[in-house]
Amino acid sequence: MLIEQSAYTNRWRSISPAAKGLFALSGLIASFAAATPTTAAVVALALVATTLLGAGIGCARLARVAAPALGFLLIGSLSLLVSPALDASGSLTLQWLPEGSAPFFRLVARSGAALAALLFLVLTTPLIDLIALMRRLRFPDVLLELMVVCYRMLFVFSEALHDTLTAQAARLGYATPRLALRSLGQLTANLAIQVWSRAHDLHIAALARNNDGPLRFIEPTFADTRRDLAIAALAGSILILGATLL
Amino acid sequence: MSFNDVLLQFEQVAYRYPDGSIGLDGCSLGIRAGSRNALLGANGAGKTTLFQHANGLLQPQGGVVRYAGTPVDYSRAGLRRLRTDIGLVFQNPDRQLFSASVREDVSFGPLNLGLDTDTVRQRVDAALDAVGLAHAADKAVHNLSFGQKKRVCIAGVLAMEPKLLILDEPMAGLDNAMREELLSALNGLHAKGITLLLATHDIDFAYRWADDIHLMARGRCTASFASAAMPAREDDLKAAGLPSPQVIALHRALVARGLLAATPLPRSQRELVALLETGALS
Repeated sequence: MLIEQSAYTNRWRSISPAAKGLFALSGLIASFAAATPTTAAVVALALVATTLLGAGIGCARLARVAAPALGFLLIGSLSLLVSPALDASGSLTLQWLPEGSAPFFRLVARSGAALAALLFLVLTTPLIDLIALMRRLRFPDVLLELMVVCYRMLFVFSEALHDTLTAQAARLGYATPRLALRSLGQLTANLAIQVWSRAHDLHIAALARNNDGPLRFIEPTFADTRRDLAIAALAGSILILGATLL
Repeated sequence: MSFNDVLLQFEQVAYRYPDGSIGLDGCSLGIRAGSRNALLGANGAGKTTLFQHANGLLQPQGGVVRYAGTPVDYSRAGLRRLRTDIGLVFQNPDRQLFSASVREDVSFGPLNLGLDTDTVRQRVDAALDAVGLAHAADKAVHNLSFGQKKRVCIAGVLAMEPKLLILDEPMAGLDNAMREELLSALNGLHAKGITLLLATHDIDFAYRWADDIHLMARGRCTASFASAAMPAREDDLKAAGLPSPQVIALHRALVARGLLAATPLPRSQRELVALLETGALS
């Protein structure tokens, strides 16, 4: 929900998603084009600064959103620096790999910059705008329809899940591990039926509004899209050129 | 009620669900063009089944549904015309809102009609304006209150510019302020000439608001009458398991004590108080 809240309340909410997407794409390209880990780190810093200072996302919020991905990145990258090995006595130890430090820093810096680019996009652009942008870019209809319905259902089911959990807990459904396991099973079964029931209801609701197959929605409009795109293209070019030349 | 006045007519309509339960059992009723209609009945009486027949989602197994005097055509083109003219708003907004974007969801119906983008945009803006949600057009559906979600559902159907708007228990789950807001939106639509049919359990509201009352019980359409005739139809209400509006009993008690004249009949407590204050003594 942190991403969701930021996407709707940030300073650049009304900026064209095409421009934000273009800038994020430039950030991704720059992170891979960066010749050295230092350059990639500079790209990451530039993207983070844009997110914090430009879009007005709070520093603490950005850190909380980035933390799981960064943790995953660090744990994954550590395998380049250390490796499990058997010593002379036959016991398992961790072996330091000096030759792994260069790829470690390169991987962390590039992935960190790529992460910063993606976080910039998702923290400044609601998913509904991104889906509209994908529609404009002619992504397959089936994929977009799935995204639309799944995104909407995510909130409907999180509410249903919360309500059912609360109702079970109020009747001591999670008082002991055994009861918790039983309640969890019932919760799963209940939600499975709800999925079927709601899918059926959505189908009926679509028919009632004259739907005959594809889900059609109007595209949102943004003021000054051309200006936004020009600025994003300029900033993105500077980012890529800087990453390549530094 | 002349034949030409009737927009939607059910004639001995019968429907049984695949599990054998009775949906409609020889149901007959008529909805006059331009009228406000309340459909009353206990849970399971068949109100939602009747609505789904009105919109062509269900096809009668017996009897006829007529729209504008003509039997409903259940071909693809016929259903398309019917669903353009008769909009159906379901009870639970979370079971009918597709898109997480308010504007996108409202555009769903008019785009299904094959309208061009500019017309759709105009209709979406007008529909959101009619339900007082113009300010929420770019909000996410999941950030709206329950009452606002209901109004988005109504806007989604209004954008198709129906002649008859059917609402399945629109007041359910709403607090008083939300009810008043919704009622104000509905009255605005009626003033624009849209015929309204809604299901409700609130007999006091139905008596106060509706022009025509329709009663259902166990799949049967047990009675239809003008709302003003409610005091004389208490037996029908009782047969459908419904109480009389409180204002009728109160008015009778005041008439019996000589505090009010037998006519005019107040339709709400507010009207009753107004009669008392103006000193309409017998």
